[in-house]
Amino acid sequence: MSSFSRSAQQWATFARSWFLIDARMQPPGRIATMCAVRLQGKHKPIYHALSDIGDHVVVINTRHIAFSGNKWEQKVYSSHSGFPGGFKQVTAAQLHQKDPKAIVKLAVYGMLPRNLLRRTMMQRLHIFPDDELPDDIRANLTEELPQPREIPRKLSEYTQEEIDAFPRLWTPPEDFRMK
Amino acid sequence: MVFLSLSCWIRNRGPDRYWKVQEVLKHARHFRGRKNRCYSLAVLAVRRAFVYATKARRFKKRNMRTLWITRIAAASREHGMKYPALMHNLTKTSVQLNRRVICDLAITEPRSFLSLAKLARARQQEGLRAALGDGKEPPGVLSRVVVLQ
Repeated sequence: MSSFSRSAQQWATFARSWFLIDARMQPPGRIATMCAVRLQGKHKPIYHALSDIGDHVVVINTRHIAFSGNKWEQKVYSSHSGFPGGFKQVTAAQLHQKDPKAIVKLAVYGMLPRNLLRRTMMQRLHIFPDDELPDDIRANLTEELPQPREIPRKLSEYTQEEIDAFPRLWTPPEDFRMK
Repeated sequence: MVFLSLSCWIRNRGPDRYWKVQEVLKHARHFRGRKNRCYSLAVLAVRRAFVYATKARRFKKRNMRTLWITRIAAASREHGMKYPALMHNLTKTSVQLNRRVICDLAITEPRSFLSLAKLARARQQEGLRAALGDGKEPPGVLSRVVVLQ
């Protein structure tokens, strides 16, 4: 077995792949778990924490991520500059307006292990707010990962026939006022 | 030429304290700072290092097991299975391979590991197949080598 003899070990699989993730209408936490696994190399059977076998991950459309619930108003990002009175708190909406890449970046950074390799792994994460990619990065891409969440259709995307054919639980009375 | 073993041969010469100090410093030569040359600091550091080494002999077994589990999880995800489902169904099909061997198979023999994953997958869907299908085994997978009468 390979545990005893090193002859059968095939470790020469250290080429880095480039994964593409489309974050449009996706929850940032689930995007971040996909990124963190691949940045660490935990999707490979030859994983070892010191081997540095992580891959590159390119995340596009981070401007169009979707938080569930009321996280845009109630999720708070805190930081402290170290000086007296240097404690800052911004909501997710404010942070996203200032920097559309920050939420995904912070989520991934928090999911990576707290060691000296964390900065290196973060350097292999490429985040773009829109779907335009520089040519040097586009040329490297090897695989696109499926989105973790199926994008729900908007009411405006349904045709009138589909809306009419949609099953109704109850028919509103004539004098019903829609909110 | 540096002749290191000479001092061992002439061990009976010289004061006993010198040799007692050398026995401790021998284990501290690679330490950082004055710990690698001052006896009073080295003796504390060496004692602590030996305590760590004793504890690490237990931790090594745990850490290796977590590493195997991480690797098996990565390999099973490649075949669309989760680690707990894989191990549970392999146990149910009486595959008595431990995690070290399965991890070795995942690295060096990916096709053997794929067949293990297929076996576990077939065992996982067995109940559903019994309820919905005709109760036959899936083609290419033997999950019941010996049919108990």
